[in-house]
Formats: sequence, structure tokens, C-alpha cells
Amino acid sequence: MSSNPYQDGRGNKDRTITKSGGGTLNVDTGTEQDKHTGEAFLIGDSMTGGYGKTGPDILHDCTIAVNKGEIAVIVGPNGAGKSTAMKATFGMLHLRAGSVRLDGQDITRLSPQARVRQGMGFVPQTSNIFTSMTVQENLEMGAFIRTDDFSDTLAQVYNLFPILKDKRHQAAGELSGGQRQQVAVGRALMTQPKVLLLDEPTAGVSPIVMDELFDRIIEVARSGISVLMVEQNARQALEIADKGYVLVQGANAHTGTGKELLADPEVRQSFLGG
Amino acid sequence: MDFLNAIVALSNFVLIPAIAYGSQLALGALGVTLIYGILRFSNFAHGDTMAFGTMVVVLVTWWFQSMGLNLGPLPTALLALPFGIIACSALVIGTDKLVYKFYREQKAKPVILVIVSMGVMFIMNGLVRFIIGPNDQRFADGERFIISARDFKQMTGLQEGLAIKTTQGLTVITALIVVALLFWFLNRTRTGKSMRAYSDNEDLALLSGINPERVVLYTWLIVAALATVAGTLYGLDKTFKPFTYFQLLLPIFASAIVGGLGSPLGAITGGFVIAFSEVTITYAWKKVLTYLLPENLAPDGLVQLLSTDYKFAVSFAILVIVLLFKPTGLFKGKSV
Amino acid sequence: MTDTTKKIGLFAIVGLLIVLTGVIQSWNTALQILNMGLISAIMALGVNLQWGFAGLFNVGIMGFVALGGLATVLVSTDPLPEAWSAGGFRILLALVLGAATVVAAVLSYARLAKGKARTLAMLAILVVGFFLYRWVFDPAVEAVEAINPAMAGNIGGLGLPVVLAWPVGGLLAAGVAWIIGKTALGLRSDYLAIATLGIAEIIIAVMKNEDWLARGVKNVIGLPRPVPYEIDLQQSTAFVDRATSFGLTATTASTLWVKLLYAGLFTVVLLILLWMAQKALHSPWGRMMRAIRDNEVASEAMGKDVTRRHLQVFILGSAVCGIAGAMMTTLDGQLTPGTYQPLRFTFLIWVMVIVGGSGNNLGAVLGGFLIWFLWVQVEPLGQALMQVITYGMADDSALKAHLLDSTAHMRLLTMGLVLLLVLRFSPRGLIPEK
Repeated sequence: MSSNPYQDGRGNKDRTITKSGGGTLNVDTGTEQDKHTGEAFLIGDSMTGGYGKTGPDILHDCTIAVNKGEIAVIVGPNGAGKSTAMKATFGMLHLRAGSVRLDGQDITRLSPQARVRQGMGFVPQTSNIFTSMTVQENLEMGAFIRTDDFSDTLAQVYNLFPILKDKRHQAAGELSGGQRQQVAVGRALMTQPKVLLLDEPTAGVSPIVMDELFDRIIEVARSGISVLMVEQNARQALEIADKGYVLVQGANAHTGTGKELLADPEVRQSFLGG
Repeated sequence: MDFLNAIVALSNFVLIPAIAYGSQLALGALGVTLIYGILRFSNFAHGDTMAFGTMVVVLVTWWFQSMGLNLGPLPTALLALPFGIIACSALVIGTDKLVYKFYREQKAKPVILVIVSMGVMFIMNGLVRFIIGPNDQRFADGERFIISARDFKQMTGLQEGLAIKTTQGLTVITALIVVALLFWFLNRTRTGKSMRAYSDNEDLALLSGINPERVVLYTWLIVAALATVAGTLYGLDKTFKPFTYFQLLLPIFASAIVGGLGSPLGAITGGFVIAFSEVTITYAWKKVLTYLLPENLAPDGLVQLLSTDYKFAVSFAILVIVLLFKPTGLFKGKSV
Repeated sequence: MTDTTKKIGLFAIVGLLIVLTGVIQSWNTALQILNMGLISAIMALGVNLQWGFAGLFNVGIMGFVALGGLATVLVSTDPLPEAWSAGGFRILLALVLGAATVVAAVLSYARLAKGKARTLAMLAILVVGFFLYRWVFDPAVEAVEAINPAMAGNIGGLGLPVVLAWPVGGLLAAGVAWIIGKTALGLRSDYLAIATLGIAEIIIAVMKNEDWLARGVKNVIGLPRPVPYEIDLQQSTAFVDRATSFGLTATTASTLWVKLLYAGLFTVVLLILLWMAQKALHSPWGRMMRAIRDNEVASEAMGKDVTRRHLQVFILGSAVCGIAGAMMTTLDGQLTPGTYQPLRFTFLIWVMVIVGGSGNNLGAVLGGFLIWFLWVQVEPLGQALMQVITYGMADDSALKAHLLDSTAHMRLLTMGLVLLLVLRFSPRGLIPEK
């Protein structure tokens, strides 16, 4: 039984009278103890915390940062807290210590929605598109908070992902895995973010599609948008990364440029398979 | 000639009533489907929401009638409809703020919300009976027929008359307008799209900056309007009795589920499927068959498959059949 | 310890409320509330089995209760041989034919290869079967209903003691629950709510319209009783003497005594069922049921047949409701299908279970008594309240008249309010599941 009686559905999966898939977004902002150890365009500074006030700590004094127009990649073994570290910068983790700053401003206490308005774009790993809506509608929803004319941005996204333009009136749920990821990234770009957070953008796509996606991500970064990305495919990701973070058990194990990490024998041995 | 007579009889007793009833069900089912899609539970209070809205329309209609205000051949109720919608909106939004909002914040399981809606159902049911009483109320006025059976017979010289009640014509036209407006709203406007987005993927909608409370507010507004319109049309066509509205819950749910819960297009289709099945199965076919069959084959009985008292059984049977063969409904119920 | 005190306290409060009713209003009313409270408690126990133990959302309680009532008529009324010779057996034959049609259709669907041929075969079986059924059924019904329509017009009963109808009512409800469960639970574990809502309406429709069965809306009155009649008591000198020794008139004493006897019978049934429900809750079966409810996936992975367990508990719970329904019809002494309304017989029972505490048998029983007490007493209380509210108004004011007339509808409002308040502030109910 759940501790919250309102969440005790008595095992009811009765889908004629109720619909599954309510919000699961874990929003938790603020920090119990500010930390300030470094500067970067976006920095999750010395973050320690877990899910909820009582949850065990997943991150231990973990710092993630990305500079303007650069690509930073978080890699590490399964369960190292890679996604968690990224979500922490987006206000989805209870921080016992640490702070998050964007462009010199402290955003630790902002809700995820407010961070979107501040210029952060977030692409979750799963359920990252509106499957029943058309590609174009997905992009329009991405621009929901914008009150100005966003047709330029729409054109830019279509330029970046030409296939989406062809399929703009198709339901996004009917697209292939790689195309869905393009929609997801495109949706996040519609707010004209200064930083783009990508949670395993290449999960479940073929190697060819993966290469193409990485090419697009480099293009995004060249246009001046910082990219912070969690990746399973550590080697390929580090190859395009300006900065790499290797996390182990929620703490920084190795940090360096992508090339440095690729050359580091210890990193190679432990995480890149020699 | 007999063939024409048969067609006219069929239209008069089956097609026209079924189309009108189907439109009413469709409007009701749209409300249920919207709440299911966006608030994620089945609203057991929907029948009583319809009853409340209609009750206000009835009261305002009486008031207008007493002042001598009318629309000539059209029912005065049309003039009172906006008042009903406003009152109904106020009621459901008040209910949401006082009742449902708390459970949303608690991230309550949908089945808990269903039970909550049972409580709301009791209250609304009691409220309506308290204000207007449990009895039948008539509030239709204006011209009764667009074409009466007698006029039709005179016009065509056929044996069978074709009567189209004003309320039937009105029902279909209003339903068409309302549905067109709703689809335009959902597919073309920014707010409508944000409602669909919220229904599709709540988390992503939040990340896109869509305000859930706004989406919920708009949903209730639309539901109140749909419920009041559906209830008023049903009441004009038949009569207004609180308990009947409560009982409409079953065919309305059946329509929404047959069409695929969460799908507006499905709700409309479902409404007509249920309405046509109910009417055709409970209609006594003797008259039509007498015209169509040679004299020696003419049926002696009424040729009624089921007595009209079993119309619930029909909606239910259709529901079970559809669920057995196509569990997600005719249109895959997924989005708003 | 405090837990037990709380339980005793809550039950004492309900007991006190009923005693107060006796003192302030009349002991007749108090006993009436007690008797229907006992029946309500049994219904709540049945629903608690389904919702509390297994999380099954049954909103067709009314149907099972009504089936219990039907069983009372079929078991206890006098046999009508002329009805049977006129067409009773033909009706039975028709029903068998109808059932055979459905079975044949289901079998043809299961056995034949998929394709157009199968669909056609199934449709053909259904259509032919339906017309065959009506061909056998209709004349028989006409014949039966033609016999003495003012008094009978139905197939009568078995003439057995009425108490026997209670278990039979349970069996009848269980049989129907099996059919519903097989379709709704077997198909996917989902469609129960809507299915039960519909089935309940259909059961009521059948009971209203099939006059040959139990006279439909013409009602069956004067059902036999398991307890003596007041009039007989009043004519017995021994009883009258004893009544006078208590300082009561024969009339009052007889009505009270009859109600007390009913209360005794009902209490026995309630205690047996409560004992069984408690045993079940703490048995391995009950633990498994709750395990399935709390984590269906894990239980399935451990090899538990979830659908089968759900079917079991669904049948058991419905049977309990059927028993209660038979008891209620016995208490009323008549079957009036027109009075079965979902708000009263389905949703009110739900209020009882939720308020009492879902998952806790004692809670359900408490809820049954408490909510029934409120249901009855809200009306006089509402009347009093309205008197106070309208005190200052002119006597000929239409509003005053309307308000006073409408107090009868305040009970629905109150029930909704009670349900919402409990759900909000004490979501586990008054006596929560441990």
C-alpha cells in the first residue's frame, strides 16, 4: 500500500474508467546549502541530493558544467547517476547541497517551467514527443511560451531536420525512432534555448541514424547553443565533446576534454572497453 | 408506392429519431471523453451535470415565458441556453476548485477520482432535485413541427406521413455547429492544441510551458457547455426529468467507450452507433415490413426484436460486442 | 489498545444514535433503522470483499440485490400449477434454447477458423436461435400471463420457507456474477465498472418487464414471513398478557416484537458472514488477494492466476449482496422492482464502504449502520433545519413552501457531502485497513 492514501488505487488498472499516464514529473527545486566553486555558462555546482526529502543521496558533490556553444557529455557506467545529474540541473532533484547557475544567474529555486523560460531546453529520454499530434503541432507546442512570431525558428528547425518538413503533417507517433528524436530535439529548439539538455538522444536508434543525430547536434552547438548530453555510446559521444564528465556512483570520477578522456588509459580501460 | 411508403415510415420512426438521439448522445459522450482525456477519469457526475445545466435553462425559459419573451417558431429555451451554460460552468469550475483540484495536487490515482465523482454526482443530483423537484418538466414551446405528418401526406399523397419535429431539426443543426466549433477549437487554436498536448503527454506539456490549471479550466468550460447543450436538446426533444438524465450515463458511457474513450471523433461515432442500435432493435417493424413484403408474407406480430424497456440492454450489448472484438473502441482512444 | 477502543467507541456511538432515536422518536423507527442497518452492513460487507480485498470496482450492486429479491419470490410464494401447465415448461425450454444459442455461438467462434465464414456462421446461429427462442417463448409467456392477471399472471414460486430464499438469493447472484465475471474479467481485467453498471440496469429491466417471472411492475405483495404476523400476536392471550406486564399495548408490543425477531435473524446472518469475511481476510487466500491487489504484476510473475482469484472474490461479494437483497425483500414482505434505483442500492453502499473503511470488514459494517442511520434521519433533521431557516419568512411565501417541500431531496446532498468529506479528510475511512 502506498503511504499516501490518495495514491492507493487498490491495484486498479481499470482503463475504461480511468486513463493511465498522469504526470510523473518529479519537481523539486531549491537547495539546502548553496555552493559556489566555479564558473561556466550553465553549471550544476557541487550537487548532492536524491529524490524527495527522504530519498537516499544519488549525487555526491557532483559538478557538471557547459560553456557557451560547447558540447559537454556525461558518460559513465549504468546507475552512475548520469541522467540524475542532468535532471538536477533542471530542478527535478532534491538538492541537499549545491546550486545551479545559468549565465551567472542563480536558478536553483526556479521550477523547471521557469527554467525553460530562462533559456533551457530539455529533451527527456522517453515520451519526449506528443505522439498523437502532427510534427508541426509538436514544434508549435515547443514554442508554446513564445508570444512572438516563431516562423523563423520553425524554418530553422526544418532546415536542420529536412525530413521533418516533409512529414510535418504526419502524426509524430507514426515516425521512425530516429525521426522521433529529431522531433523531440526540434521541439526543444523552438523556445530558442541557450542551453539544450539531451537525455540519451541516441537510445534505441541504429548506428547510421546515431551518426546523423550527432552531426545535427554539432550543428546545433555551432549555432551558439550549449549542449549538455547524457550518452550511453561513450566513445562516439566523447569524440564530439568539448568537455566530458565520467561519473561513478554519483560523483565526478574523471573530467576533461573529450580527447583527453579518450586518451586516458584508465577511462579507456574502465568505460570504453579498452 | 409501397416501397416509398416503407422508406417514409422507416425515416419517420427510425432514422429521424435515431439521428436526433444520436446527436444528443454524441454531445454527452464528447464531454465524458474530454474529461477522460484531460483529467484522466470517468466522470460519473456527467449525467447530473447535464441535468443541472438543463435545469437552469428550464428555469430561465419559464422566466422568459412569463415575461412574454420568445423566439417565435423556435423554442424559447435557445434564448435561455447561454444562461444555462454560464451557470453550469460556474458549478463545475466551483466543484473543480473545491473538490477535484485537491486530488490533482495529491496526484491521486484516477480510480480515487472516480469515487470522488460519485460523491459529486450525489450532490449535483440532490441539488437539482432540491431546486426543481424530481418530476417531469416541460419547457418546449414554439412551432412543434417543421413538417407534420398530415402536411407531408397532403404534399406527397403517400399513405405514410413523415413528421420532423422542430426539436429534432434543432438538435441536429445545433449538434453540427457545436461539433464543428469544438473541432476547430481543438485542432486550430493554440489553447485547443495545448489541451491535446496535455492529454497526450502531461510531463512534456509541462516542460513546454503549458499551464495545467489553465488546460483544466478550459476543459471544464467546454464540458459545461457541451453538457448543457446536450441536456437541453434532449429535454426539448423528450422531457426534462432529473432521474432520466442520471440514467443517460449508461448510453453516454457506452457511446464514448464504443468510439474509443478519449477520442472526440469516436465519441460522435459511438453516439450514433448506440442510438441507431437502440432505435432499430426496439422498433416494431411491422409497418415497414407490411409495405415491403408480399401480402401473404405480412407479419402478424409487431416484429419488435426487443421491447423499448430494454434499450439499456441494447447499449450494453453493443458495448460488450465492441469491447470483445476491438477493446480500444472503434477509434483508438488515446488523445483528445 | 487505542485501536480497539476507537472501534468500540465508534460502534457505541452508532448504537447510541439508534437508542436515542428510540427514546426521542419511537422504538419502531429505531428498530426499523437497526434492521435495515443490519442488511446494509451485509451489503457493505459484500462490496468490501470486492473493493477492499481485491480492488474490483463493482457499480452493479443494485442488480445483485434485486436478484436476491427475485429469489425470495421464486422460493417462497405458492406454486401455481396451472401456470406451469399453461406454459411454464415452455418458458423453461425457451430459456434453455436461448442459452444453447449463445453457447453455440461462442463455441462456433472458438472452434471455427478465423474468417468471414466464422462471422457468418456465428451470426446465422444467433439470428436463427433468436427467432426460435422468441417462437417458443412468446406464446408461453402470453399463456402464463393470461392466468388470473390481477392476482398472479406469473409462474409462481416453490412454496418453500422464506428463509431458504436467502441462500438461494446468494446463489442466484453468484450465478449471474459468474457470467459477468467470465465476460468482463476474463476478457481483460478492465471493463468491470461499466459492465456492472449496465448489467444492473438490465436485471432491473428484466424484473420490471417479464411479468411471467415475478409480475413485473405489478409487484408481488404479501410474501410469507419467517416471523409471526402482528395480528396473530395480538390475538394470542399469552402475548397480550406479557405485553401488558411490560406496560405496552398489544399493538405496539406486537410490532416491536416482530421487528426484534427480524433483528435477531439478521444479526445471526451478519455475524456468520462477518466471521467468514474475517477468517477469509486473515487466511492465506485473503493475504494472496491483497498481495494481488497491491502488486498485480509481481503476483502474476509468482504464478498466481489473477483473473481466477478476481472471479472468485467477485462471485463471493456478489453472493453476499444477493443474500442481503433476499433478506431485504423478506423484511419488506413485497417485491417492487420499480423501487430499485442505483443511487440508493449501488452508490449508497459505496458510500458506506468508503466511509467505514475500505479493506476493513468491521469498517464496512460500521459504515453500513452509520450511513443508513444518516440516510433515514437526514429527512427529519432537514425538515427541522428548514423550519428554522424559513422561520422568518411569510407563511404564504412560495419559497418557504418550496424549501419545506424539498427537504426530502436533502439526503442525496448530505450523502455526497459525507462521502466527499471522508474521502478528503480521512481517505482510509473511519476504521482503516491495517
